[in-house]
Amino acid sequence: MTVSSVGSVSSSMLQSILDMRSQLDDLQRQLGTGEKSDTYSGLGLGAGLTVSLNAQLAALNSYGDTIGLVTTRIGVASTALQQMASYASEVKSSMLSSPFDPDDTGQTTTQKIATADLGSFLGLLNTQVGNRYIFSGQATDQPSVDTMDHILNGNGAQAGLKQVILERNEADLGADGLGRLAITAPTTTSVSLAETPNGTASPFGLKLAAVTSNLTGATVTGPGGSPPAISVDITGTPADGQTIKFQFNLPDGTSDSITLEAVSGTPVSPNQFVVGPTPDATASNLKAALTSALQTFGQTTLSAASAVAASDNFFDNPPQRVNGAPPSSSTALVDGTPADTVTWYTGSNTTGSARSTATAKIDQSITVSYGTQANEQGIRKALQNIATAAAVTYSPTDPNAAARNQALCVRLNDALSAPPGTQSIQSIQTDLSNAQSAMTAAAARQQQTANTLTDLLQKVSTVPPEQVGAQILALQTSLQASLQTAAMLSQISLINYLPA
Amino acid sequence: MSLTQALSTALTGLTAAQTALSVTAGNIANAQTPGYVRKQAVQVETAFGATGIGVSITEINRVLDQFIQQQLRTESSGAAYADLSANFYQQIQSVYGQPGSDGSLETIYNNFTTALQALTTSPDDPSTQAAVIGAAQVVAQQLNAMTDGIQSLRAQAELGISADVTAANNAIQQIAELNQRISGSTQNDATSAALEDQRDRYIAQLSQLMDIKVITNNNQVSVFTSSGVQLVGLSAAQLSFDAQGAVAAQSQWSADPSKSTLGTITLTAPNGSTTDLIASGGIHSGEIAAYLQMRDQVLVQAQNQLDQFAAAMSSALSDRHTDGTAVTSGAQNGFTIDTAPLLDGNSITINYTDTATNTPHTLTLVRTDDSTALPLSNDATLDPNDTVVGIDFSSATPILTQISAALAGTGMTASLSGTTLQILDDGAADTVNVDSVSSTTTVTSLSAGTPQLPFFLDNNQPYSGANTGAGPQSVGFAGRISVNPALIDDPSALVSFQPGTAAADDTRPQFIFNQMTASALQYSPSSGIGSTTAPFTGSLGSYLQHIISQQGQAATDANNLKQGQDVVLNSLQQRFNANSGVNIDEEMTNLLNLQNEYAANARVMSAVKDMISALLQM
Repeated sequence: MTVSSVGSVSSSMLQSILDMRSQLDDLQRQLGTGEKSDTYSGLGLGAGLTVSLNAQLAALNSYGDTIGLVTTRIGVASTALQQMASYASEVKSSMLSSPFDPDDTGQTTTQKIATADLGSFLGLLNTQVGNRYIFSGQATDQPSVDTMDHILNGNGAQAGLKQVILERNEADLGADGLGRLAITAPTTTSVSLAETPNGTASPFGLKLAAVTSNLTGATVTGPGGSPPAISVDITGTPADGQTIKFQFNLPDGTSDSITLEAVSGTPVSPNQFVVGPTPDATASNLKAALTSALQTFGQTTLSAASAVAASDNFFDNPPQRVNGAPPSSSTALVDGTPADTVTWYTGSNTTGSARSTATAKIDQSITVSYGTQANEQGIRKALQNIATAAAVTYSPTDPNAAARNQALCVRLNDALSAPPGTQSIQSIQTDLSNAQSAMTAAAARQQQTANTLTDLLQKVSTVPPEQVGAQILALQTSLQASLQTAAMLSQISLINYLPA
Repeated sequence: MSLTQALSTALTGLTAAQTALSVTAGNIANAQTPGYVRKQAVQVETAFGATGIGVSITEINRVLDQFIQQQLRTESSGAAYADLSANFYQQIQSVYGQPGSDGSLETIYNNFTTALQALTTSPDDPSTQAAVIGAAQVVAQQLNAMTDGIQSLRAQAELGISADVTAANNAIQQIAELNQRISGSTQNDATSAALEDQRDRYIAQLSQLMDIKVITNNNQVSVFTSSGVQLVGLSAAQLSFDAQGAVAAQSQWSADPSKSTLGTITLTAPNGSTTDLIASGGIHSGEIAAYLQMRDQVLVQAQNQLDQFAAAMSSALSDRHTDGTAVTSGAQNGFTIDTAPLLDGNSITINYTDTATNTPHTLTLVRTDDSTALPLSNDATLDPNDTVVGIDFSSATPILTQISAALAGTGMTASLSGTTLQILDDGAADTVNVDSVSSTTTVTSLSAGTPQLPFFLDNNQPYSGANTGAGPQSVGFAGRISVNPALIDDPSALVSFQPGTAAADDTRPQFIFNQMTASALQYSPSSGIGSTTAPFTGSLGSYLQHIISQQGQAATDANNLKQGQDVVLNSLQQRFNANSGVNIDEEMTNLLNLQNEYAANARVMSAVKDMISALLQM
């Protein structure tokens, strides 16, 4: 700006007075706002730095928000998982300790506990954080599981677990209750135990695994042939107390056996057969005893194993149903459809890990995965076994009920403790707590970074009031001095010293 | 020799003292008059008869150092330029807002990325989705508002030029008139000195507006622009400026009047010939030059930076890269690519190797629907190493013919089946290998099954970087960018990229977040950041940082220049004043001297009178 001279005060002096005035105005603004400048150019070389610092701080802030939110979600999921695990162990311990005491509804104390826990378990699986179903994978807008009533009893045309167990039981037992095996007498001195043709082709019923015998005068062959068969030829007289043991593979993957003992006197237990005077008689007795034992085996162990297998079918994705009617002659499983079977899990299925269904970027290069799905192995197995316990009923008049319950309890008890190498509820919890610790560490680190960055930003863009105060004082002094000088200079003129 | 002779001599002394006194009085009276130059009475000894000696005032001189005056004029052009530039830069700074404040682009952009980060964590939350849309709208609106700010500054510059041209015309006119009046006065008297003062004031005024050269010949001045065009000679030239009322980002000055959408300064010489002063580069300094600099360069670049930011942001979300499918035909190998999804501005990139020299080449075919934009320059794409050929899809010439022409000489051949373009090498001859063919297309559907989406639109049309005769689509895009209304109606499309997308599927949110924060994008060097051979590549955040530091630095530089110029001008002014200004003390001293001189002359007269009386009384 061009300043014309005023009197004897030089224009440069006037200019500097004006400059000081505007500096004073700016310092006043700084004192009021605490900001070094109200434009980027006023920050000088710090302009670009401010932008990047602000961007970094905003990023750290949003990481912080994310961590806060995800911590809540993980916290809720962990609590729910903890509770699920406790339901599973409650059912498990009850199986070992409670007596077989079915009431008029056909359920034992353990089963009632299981039913109650199943309801709570399903409730937990529908836990929401905000509006988000956390056990539904990516379908967070869908409840994770159907209701207990639908799951157990079905929904209209859709079959529930109970119906699936029933059908599978019929399929496993076969029409004659022998577990898809046939007992025949090819000759008068022999007994043959064979898989039926449609039994051997199907996943149902008992499969012959082995036979061991120390019967004197008996030739045991098999299992072999097609369909596999075991043949016992009686040629002599087995001694008292000698045994023959038939081993079977059951539908749930376990194996069990029937042992028949030769007695010379009157049998005292169902698994004994009388050694007759002739091989013919002995063979005939053996056949009768085997038939009776197999029938009992079908009502107890096989039925229990069948229930376990049926439950596994029901909770499979897609659910597996016995193909064709009647089930007793079915030879295959078929995928259930939403039209005929209740879909217990209503969330989304992902091809990858369930954990990857929810991810959060919590740092520049750290992403945590914390998704959960109700159909993950760990949760599903616990749910499935509790549901099996809740679904089965016993008739008070059934003589095999106690043994069947026993066989089922043993199986469910085993299944409720996840074998090593398979996923359990605890392993999901571990995953989540790992994610949580990554976030805690990141949050601490980010807090430190944010502090440093904030310090730096303040250095670049703000001024301490003390500094501004001191600058104002200094400026005031020099402005006063300049004005004083200007005033004095204007007085020094010859006019003032000439006589009037 | 006689007594009356002495009386006459004393009389000349009295007259001279009186005249000098009036000059001194005039000096004192005009001490505060701007542009007033101190006058000096030139006193000479005169002789009459054999012995008669007297004194007379021959002329009234202006006390002037022409060298300083010339310098002052030059520097005042420079100072006016620096002053106005600094002022404008300061106003541009206000467009960027207060550092870190809620209204600054950086904060608004940071809010957008924060909202996106939240969306990646909670894709299923409608309020989070709405927050992203809201934050994106604020970004778009901020860019619109900043564009308005920059364009209104350009309009201000346009008006400023208009006002300055009027003022310059007035000054030129006055100088010419004063020239004539001064030429009429034959001697250097007080009147002509006053007229010269006035003329100098007008010249000073004109020198603030533009840089001029002044040549003085006798008492006449000629004024030229520093490039040599005469403004004032015997008569005045006339400047005119066709100011444009509306200034938008697309408005550009051009030397070609048919293309120019901004005003230009035309000089009409007294003989009727005209010169375009902007096109001929006639103005380098002064206010007008500063206005021109702002209107045609600084503000255009600032707008360009915002446009590039908007374009990169929009393209990063909507541009989809598709690789061609490898095909073999006999001995020929190559690729097919679908041309159907290409929008105006989208491109097909062909990478091939010349096997003789083993040199890789890139050929980019750009769909161009405006034939006036053709041929495209190689700068039409951001890739510094490619050859760009515009293919006019609207032309009567089949596109295959155009593509084949573009491939001519490379050894490659093209064929088209439906919309599928096939590029093959020369097979057995093996002089060329097609390495890859890919297309970059703009996604226009929110649910096309791709993470890419038309998040931002240009006046509700897709932004595809189209080239038109008037310039690329990016020009002024920052002023037109808006969030896709379909997305505002249905924010769930931020997550749902095809029917049946799970509520918490974070594929698209992650893509958007990544593109907006981390992805290295390219920006046109026309924004003054990066160069043609090495375009700036970086995230949107770092580009923003560059824009703001560059503008901040430019404003600081302009301010420093202004302060430097002020110092120079002030010290020159001071020197000028010391020389040509009125010093009251000096005038007072003169006054005393003149008083004495007058008294002494009067004393002589009274002595002569006494002597004559004595004679008479004898």
